[in-house]
Amino acid sequence: MRRIISTLIVVALALVMTTPLMATAPQEEGEIVLNFPTFWVGQDSKAEPIADLVESFNAEHASEIRVVIEANPDTDGYRDKINTQMAAGQAPDIFVFAPDPTTFQYYDSDILMDFTEELQGSWRNDFVPGYIEESTKNGRTKSVPYEIGLTPIWYNSELFAQAGVDEFPATIEEFQDAADALKAAGIVPTSQMTGGSNAWTSMLWYSHIVGSLGGPDVWSKPLSDPLFVEAAEVLLRMYQDGNTTRDAVGGDAGVSGGHYMAGNTAMFINGPWYIGRIRGDAPETYAATRLAPAPQVGDYYGHQLGFMLSNLAAANTDDERKRDAVITFMQYMTDPDNVKLVSEAAGSLFAIKYELGADADPLQREFVRAASEATFVIGLFSSRYPVDVVAEFGQALAAMALGEATPAEFVEMLIEVNN
Amino acid sequence: MNGIAGTRLTFSDATAKVGKWLVLGFFFFFTFVPLIWLLLSSFKTNLELQMRPFALPAVWQIQNYVNAIQISGLPRLFLNSVVVSSVSTVLTLVVTSMAAFVFAREKFPLQQALLNVILAGVLVPIIALMAPYFRLTNALKLYDSLWALILTYTAINLPISTFLMHGFMKTIPKELEEAAVIDGASFFQRFSRVIFPLSRVGLVTAGTFVFLFGWNEFIYALLLTSRIQSRTLQLGIRFFVSQFFTDYTSMFAAIVLTIIPSIAVYVFLHEKIIKGLASGALKG
Repeated sequence: MRRIISTLIVVALALVMTTPLMATAPQEEGEIVLNFPTFWVGQDSKAEPIADLVESFNAEHASEIRVVIEANPDTDGYRDKINTQMAAGQAPDIFVFAPDPTTFQYYDSDILMDFTEELQGSWRNDFVPGYIEESTKNGRTKSVPYEIGLTPIWYNSELFAQAGVDEFPATIEEFQDAADALKAAGIVPTSQMTGGSNAWTSMLWYSHIVGSLGGPDVWSKPLSDPLFVEAAEVLLRMYQDGNTTRDAVGGDAGVSGGHYMAGNTAMFINGPWYIGRIRGDAPETYAATRLAPAPQVGDYYGHQLGFMLSNLAAANTDDERKRDAVITFMQYMTDPDNVKLVSEAAGSLFAIKYELGADADPLQREFVRAASEATFVIGLFSSRYPVDVVAEFGQALAAMALGEATPAEFVEMLIEVNN
Repeated sequence: MNGIAGTRLTFSDATAKVGKWLVLGFFFFFTFVPLIWLLLSSFKTNLELQMRPFALPAVWQIQNYVNAIQISGLPRLFLNSVVVSSVSTVLTLVVTSMAAFVFAREKFPLQQALLNVILAGVLVPIIALMAPYFRLTNALKLYDSLWALILTYTAINLPISTFLMHGFMKTIPKELEEAAVIDGASFFQRFSRVIFPLSRVGLVTAGTFVFLFGWNEFIYALLLTSRIQSRTLQLGIRFFVSQFFTDYTSMFAAIVLTIIPSIAVYVFLHEKIIKGLASGALKG
């Protein structure tokens, strides 16, 4: 045993001694190397098209600019890493910026590159109106809008037909009738979840309901507004009487999405990035999936949840050549033709104006239709509130679903963290 | 009813035996069932996992293991994990055994205060040190190298390893060291010829903790490296977790592959680990 351990130690030491002390990539004379840490790697639907784009960019700018993708799997870990780097005052050359209240605080520092002037010119015309404004704080635009999300209700039209429901319910009363019909047919009405970092599926249901109660300006209202309790009551009903699966409490996105794909549940919420997954793993459910706005609970109907999902940002620099290289790359990434390539390959939507090709995915076209037919678009709960409040959402929801908290107490828990 | 030696077992003996096996069976069940479930799940499709989580795979998906190896670059990450965990373990043990020797066997001013300062490091959450470690690693130009992880893991483990080694070395009788002094042993020889060899069980205990820490650590591996050449296994496992989709079954396959060395280490060294823990608990 001692000999084996000694041998292993010697081999390990030999290996590490032969590993380069510094791992910087070789660089040609005059070439600007930009490191691009991203979580669009591995099995992410955008991994391949983004890698292809970067490769084309590098070929186009050979010997001048080279972008090196740093693979950072695990989105939450990636955000921790980027936040740590920014807190240490050493932002990466280029990176994916989460446009939420927490990260927007870094706009106040000078570690992010400022694109305000460049975005005043013709480059601005490539973007869908509104997104640059949303990415601008105190008159400065320090991140470039890129991927956006739209999260309508997904429903399985085959399961609805089995239950004798011809149309997606337009009101909450019709929704309850449809849920009863589905249950009578042995089908669980909705996918829900309290787990994950933000209880994603249920947080989206809540945001839809809140939008119907409060309208386009709902997020300007304080959490103490009674509509948040009313929305919680509706959400609670979705957890009761068999309206969702038994593993929803504690379940994560894999659970809620898995039940929908498996045909166990009839309704689900997610964005266009999920198209590739459902098309590959559950072709029958994919073929039966239709999109709809959430049922009307309050005075408003027909709205959708739209939000900036990922912006692109860069480290501030005094080096003019490096700054030019970063802007050249940003403009390349947001070029409508390049965006179209990524969109069609990954099923994602973007804050840039582009036309889907004739052979684009039918469900992706449904998303574009849902966006164009929306009476108004609001953001998500998770985009409106800081990360600690969002984290509390799932905990509070689990407590409410388990009968340990009332809807009023659920909202109180959120308010407490928000204060 | 006859016992092993041919003696008759009383009813209470038999009950005690049954009770013992029930308790052992209970712990065996709760220890092994999750591992067996993990192994079986690693051969399923994701949809199958959702629909029939406790059934046998309909078709055994070897592809999950192919994914585990190909997508995440597991072989290289495996090698890196072995290197990082082994070297950081050796470094930690070298440093902390010497430190523990001085604290456990010598007398000097502020001895207890200095020891307390080192041991207080156990109480600092490692996540609180992310920004300083990142800056320091960059300043030393070690970012994206195996050395960044080796030195960081060594530094993080100094307090706990010192604590374990100190507790262990204090239990060694002074007479042995005194006899060595009479035979002409120097200060260093007292450490290298007497105390260090006698601390073997403690070294294995502390070494196991340090090795497993390095093997399982994720957040610093992500923070301090960027290329596959300098990354470790835990990052490979996360390659199956993307923003909106987790390929659980391929991830399970990767996990099965990554826990094999941990199990092997424990199988080979479990007697010493248990002995070391018991020794520390009773005499430390």
